[in-house]
Order: sequence, then structure tokens, then C-alpha cells
Amino acid sequence: MSSHPTDAARPMLVATDIHRHFEGMRAVDGVSLEVAPGKITGLIGPNGAGKSTFMAVLAGTLPATSGTIVFEGEDITHFPAHQRARRRLVRTFQLPSEFAQLTVLENLLVAAPTNRGDSLFGALMGKGYWGADERRLIDEARGLLKRFGMSAKESDYAGTMSGGQKRLVEIMRALMLHPRLLLLDEPMSGVHPKIVEEIQYYLQDLRAEGLTILMVEHELHMVERLCDTVVVMAQGKVIGSGTMSSLRRQQEIVDAYLVG
Amino acid sequence: MNTYYAANLLIYAGIDIIACLALNLQFGVSGIVNFSFIVFQAVGAYAAAVLSLPPDTANGGFQHYVGGFQLPFPFPWIGGAIAGGLLAIPVGFVVLRKLRSDYQAIALLVLSVIANTVITNADKFLGGAAGLALVPPPFSDRIDPNTESYQYLYVGITIVAVVVAFAVVNRVVNSPYGRSLRAMREREIAAAAIGKNPVNLKMTIFIVGGVIAGLSGAILVGFIQLWAPSVWLYPETIILFAAIIVGGRGNNIGAILGALLVPVGFEEVTRLLNSNPNIANLGPPNFISALQWVLIGLLILGFLWFRPQGVRPEPRRVFEGGPE
Amino acid sequence: MNLFIAAFGFGLVSMSVIAIAAVGFTMQFGITNMINLAYGEVMISSAYLAYYLNKAGISIWIGMVAGALFGAVFSFLLNRVVYGPFMRKGTANLGMVIVSLAISLMISNLLLPIVGYYSVSYQENAGRLIRLGSIALTRDQIIVIAIAVVLMLGIHALLTYSRLGKAMRATAANPTLARNCGIPTQRVIDSVWLITGALCGLAGVVAALNDDSFAIANGSAFLITILAAAVLGGAGQPYGAMIGAVLIGLITELSAAAWSPEYKEVVAFGILVLVMVLRPQGLLAKRGALAAAG
Repeated sequence: MSSHPTDAARPMLVATDIHRHFEGMRAVDGVSLEVAPGKITGLIGPNGAGKSTFMAVLAGTLPATSGTIVFEGEDITHFPAHQRARRRLVRTFQLPSEFAQLTVLENLLVAAPTNRGDSLFGALMGKGYWGADERRLIDEARGLLKRFGMSAKESDYAGTMSGGQKRLVEIMRALMLHPRLLLLDEPMSGVHPKIVEEIQYYLQDLRAEGLTILMVEHELHMVERLCDTVVVMAQGKVIGSGTMSSLRRQQEIVDAYLVG
Repeated sequence: MNTYYAANLLIYAGIDIIACLALNLQFGVSGIVNFSFIVFQAVGAYAAAVLSLPPDTANGGFQHYVGGFQLPFPFPWIGGAIAGGLLAIPVGFVVLRKLRSDYQAIALLVLSVIANTVITNADKFLGGAAGLALVPPPFSDRIDPNTESYQYLYVGITIVAVVVAFAVVNRVVNSPYGRSLRAMREREIAAAAIGKNPVNLKMTIFIVGGVIAGLSGAILVGFIQLWAPSVWLYPETIILFAAIIVGGRGNNIGAILGALLVPVGFEEVTRLLNSNPNIANLGPPNFISALQWVLIGLLILGFLWFRPQGVRPEPRRVFEGGPE
Repeated sequence: MNLFIAAFGFGLVSMSVIAIAAVGFTMQFGITNMINLAYGEVMISSAYLAYYLNKAGISIWIGMVAGALFGAVFSFLLNRVVYGPFMRKGTANLGMVIVSLAISLMISNLLLPIVGYYSVSYQENAGRLIRLGSIALTRDQIIVIAIAVVLMLGIHALLTYSRLGKAMRATAANPTLARNCGIPTQRVIDSVWLITGALCGLAGVVAALNDDSFAIANGSAFLITILAAAVLGGAGQPYGAMIGAVLIGLITELSAAAWSPEYKEVVAFGILVLVMVLRPQGLLAKRGALAAAG
């Protein structure tokens, strides 16, 4: 993390020649990409292109077979997932990954990294020790819930939420970490079209506030509206990058993937 | 009611409650299926025993063991608790890191069987198969352990231990840390993705649970004044699991309830049945205790099928100031 | 030195017994994803069945067949009545382990009042000693080795050439895909439990025959050795279990000769721990014991 004055120019994340081989399959076969700060970058490609695997490698959920990842100037290639999250590189998941037996509010609270009660020592010291932190975070979480329209559900179990609501919970949960880079894996997948609209607006607002996003998405209209740049993957490799309009002009890409 | 009987009941209840609180912390709240739990209670008992026993040449030198420091209360109890925590370190280090959770459970189960075999065969270490006898109970140099007033004393110190254990477990579970534990239990990968270190969390809880389990062992050995491998066979852990499943996973009050219903309840019913000669002689020898185990198995299956959350499920946390 | 060569001979017998059991166990896991902790108890139950038949004057080899049949039926029913329903209900892996542990306890305690605590042995003349250098094995022990070899070849043939075997491998690799390709998964699973149950029952009698005496407590000792062999070879991999059995059988017998026979399970456990620390996926496995990713 740095506050270098020329931050805006320096890419937030640089992935170089990432390979992920497993059981003889080359899911990610030499992918390099850069994520520019303050922008929404889309990652598209046909099914099985390795997009989700690549995201998992960036997030640290899966180890890279080879290659390097530099985040905000720091080599995080060998960092486990939780350390990357602490560096504020946060991911959401393609399949619903809420904490089902925790309430919606608890899902948000648990993500906050600055709670004094979130250690054995802190817990043993009792509520007097961490009560203030907790109250502050409850307010912050409730603010998020209000903004995303889920205040009424704060005390419901997250597992009882609908698909779209679970997505929102996960996004809000990620936001509680004050991420510098948010990795979204198909955030609109399986979500009601109405909520898709809402998520789209939220993401645009977040970008306006300076959040950097890398997003895997299938809905090309969505990608077109939201993403500043797009990277196309197929069969584990990057086959093109740029704006959607420039990509449409590249015939191989259209052939490989884009239909309309 | 007979003081001795009442004291016996209360002390066993206290020990089982402490054990169940520890197991609930590990299994109910944090999702660690510690099938070797009884070993931690055992190591606490052994530690307390060798700390309070005189050197093994005493009493005619009929038993052989390490230690024999003849320490007064509360050192044996503290030693037992520490022993439980210390054992958790290497065990946790080997088992809790990279394995998938059902493998972890198996490894711990196997450990439980093997530990018992090793201690049984290692004659000079902890008394071997015969175990340790004539363990001096707390304050036995000042009060005769056979008197009624001693029973009150022991119940008193047991209750203190229960209160301490409950306070610790309660603070851990109902704190932001407890919330992180539950998140890890729910979905470990997502918990890592929001910055929680699952290995750290598991190791910590394994150790804390080990400390509390060790304490329960120290209390038990101080009361019954002997300890042998036959007391801590691997199925003993299963009784405690049944208690947690029945009482309510993730709920401290549920753990207490489970402790009273299952280990205490079954023991009392068994005792009542065995005290009636007509019933005690029914069927082959040990019929009642074998039946007890079958019922425990059925209880586990029944609850897992019909009410996996237990009698008192994990409470839903509601915060004040919410929407109305 | 001769002691070790003799131990090698015992190792051959040991590995045969373990192989029969471990292959069945690992196939249950590989194809149905079930860690069947009651496996050892089913083995002991069929050992006792053969014991009662033996007491009634029936040859131990018939007892073995009876044990295999018993194991097959019992395991099949176990899956149909308990494991299957719990799995369909969505019980997690961990929950299934608890279920199988509960079953294991129930089996051993239902057996206990009937058979008692004390060890028993088969009335069987093991036959004359056949010597090969320093290795001396009885006729019965050689027959056991032969049975194991035949069964291993049979399993290999089943998995490689038969339709059922291929269906089993497909179901093991990807049950949903297998079902979608028209493989009758319920029937495949039933067959798996029948076949592995037969192996289990047979292994129980063979193991009991190999030991001087046995009692209910042996159930958990068997299980540990089988677990070690299965995990060493790679969980769910039948050929891995065979390799694991060879290694565990040899190492435990050699260590028994070097130190003490009482610690055989401890050695097996030590190997299990080493494997889990150094190479949790085992020798042959692809996925196996590692924490599920992503």
C-alpha cells in the first residue's frame, strides 16, 4: 500500500505469465495482465477459458504453478488468501459464499479487519474492551445495508436470502474491508434483472469513489456499459484486450467468442 | 439424599459440563471434529496425577511413573490444564493444516486409539495398563477426603472451575472472535477471502479447548484418585459428541444441557438400572452398558436426522438499534 | 538377519490380508465418497460368524465364503438403510464420518453381549510349514496369499474390462456426469457395496485366521492399519491401496521383528501421520486428502 503521488499512472496489479496446471489440465496457460487503478476492468471469454481459475489465483485461493503477481508494488505471489485480503485485495465468489448461519449484519461485521475483539486476547478481555469498535462497525455496516437497500434483512440468516441478495451481501461484505482492488467473479450470475440494474449502479458509484474492480462477467451488454477496459481469455490464454469496440473489430476475437 | 451421592453427581456433572463446553468450542462453534478429545482430558488427568503423587517409590513402589512431585492444590489442576494445551500444539500442527476436514477427524480418531495403546504398553511411563492409583486429592493433607465436609469442598472447587470455564468460553464465543470462528466453520475459503487465517484460528481453539479439557481431567482424577487407559478409550469422546449434538451445537447452554442429558443422564440411568438386581442380571454380563452404547449411537443418528441443531440451537444474534 | 527374512515372509501374509481389506475400503471411499469407519466392525462380525460355523465343525474355508456373503449383504444394507439416506439428505462429509462412527459403536456393542470380551480362535490346523530359505510359512498362510493375489487380479479385471468396472470408475471420477451419461448410479453404488462388502467380510475371516486369536477390540486395530494403507496409496485408488498394503504389511512386520509385535498398529499410525504431513494425497492419488480448493 502506498500513497505515491503518481499512483494514478502505476498499475494497481500486475500479473506476469501466470500458469495454473492441475491434474494435467492447463487451466491458465501463461496469462499476463495489468489492472489500472480507479477503473473497472472486465475479464470475458467462453466457458472453460480459465477466467475463474485465474481470479482464484489472483486472490490466493489457488496457488499459481508459476508466474508472479505484484499488487501495489508488493510481490504477493506466495501470499495465502487471507494475507491478500488483509492487503485489501478482496474477492467475491462465483457460487454463493455467504456465511449461512450468520445473520446478514454479522456477515458484514465479521469482515471488518479493525475490531479489537477479533483475537483471543480481545475476546477474553470482554465487551468493555471491544464494545466501542463493535458499535462503530455496526454503524458502518448498517450504512452499507441502507445504501444497498437491505436494512430490513439485517437480522435474517444470510442462508435464507435469495440469490441476488446473497450476491449483495457478499459485495457489501467485501466492501467492509475497504478494498483497494475488488475481484468480482460473475457478480450478476443468477441474479434477478432488477437487482442486476442495482448492482450495476452500485459498481459505477464505487468506481466514482476510486475503487478499482476486476470483474469476470458473461453478460456482454453489462460489460460494455460498465467496463473501461476488457481482457479476453480463451483456453487459458489472453487473446486480446482493449475497449469493447476495439475488440469487436478484431476478427479472431469475434470468431472465438463475441456473438452480437 | 445421601451427601456422598449428591456430591458424586454434582462433581461428575461439573466435569462433564467443562468437557462439553470445551468440545462445543472446538466442534460446535469452530467446526473442528476433534475425535481425540478424550486424550486431552486424559493428559490433564495424568499430569495432575504425577504432579500430586509422591515419587513412585512410595506406597511400596508398586507403580512406576514419571514425576511424583507431590505438589499441593492448585498446582496439579493448573498443570493438568497446561498439559492439555501443550499436547494440542504438536497434534494440531500435524493435523490441522492442510488436510480436508474429514481426514482431520480420522487422524484424530486414530490418534486416540494409538495413544491408548502406547500408554498401555509403556509400563514405566504412566503406570501402563494398571494406570495410576492412590492419587492424593486436593487438600488431602489437611482434610480427610472421606468426610462429608470434604465432599462439600470438592463440589465447591469444581463449581469454581465450571464458572471459570464457562466465563472463558462465553467470552470467546460471544465476541467478534467467536464470529470469525463461526464464519470459518461455515465456509472456510470465504473466511480466508475476508482475511481470517483458518490455520491460526483452528490451532488457537485447539489449544484453548485442550487447556479446558485438561482441567476437566485434573478435576476428575483428583476426585476418583486413580486413572488408567481403560477409563479413556476412544468411545468416550463419542459420548461427548453425542452430548453436543443433542444439547445444541454452537450453544454454550446447549452444551451444558447436553452434558446433563447424555453423559450424566446415561450414567444415572445405568446406575439405577444396575442397582435393581432383576434388571442387572438380565441377559449376558455387561448387557446394560453395551446397550448404553447402542442407545448413544441411536441418539446421535436420531438427532442428526431429525434435529441436527440440537435441543437448544445456536442463537441468532440480533443487535439493538436495528430496523423495526 | 534370518529374523528379518522370516519377518519378510510374515510380511507377505500381512500384506495379503491388508490388501484384501484396504482395496474394499478405498473403493467405498473412491466411488461413494464414504469413509466407512464401521468397516473394521463388519470385518470382526464376519470373523465371529466364521468362528461359530467353525465351532459347529464347518471348515474355515466355507466360513470364509460365509463371511464374504455376510459382509456383502450387511454392507449393502448399511448403505441402503443408513449411509445413502443421510447422504441424500445432504449431510456433509464430516457428518457422515460421525454417522459411520456411531454405526461402528453400535455394531461392536450389539456384538459384545453375544460374543463376550474374551479372545477366541479358530480350530484350524494350519498345515505343515513350507520353507523357502529362511522363510517358513504354513500351508494356510500360502493359501491366504494366493487368495489375495486372485482377488487383486479379479478387482483389476473388474475395473479394467467389465462394464460395471468402467461404470464404477466413471462414477468415482464424476458422479453427476456419470448419471447424466446414463449410468445407473444407484445400481453401480449397490454393486460397489456388495463387492466391497464381500471383500470386507472375507478380509475379516482371513485376518482373524492370521492372528492367533481375536476379540471385538481388534476391530479398531484392523481399521487403523487399513486406513494407513489406503491413505498411503492414495485415498480412493484401488491400486494405491494394493501398494499401500504391500508397504504397510512389510514395514509393520519388519518393525515387529525389530522391536515389539504389540506396536504394529502404532507403526501403521506413524506411517499414516508421515503421509499426512509429507504427502497427504498419498502415492497415487489426484485429489485425496488435501483440503478442497475454491
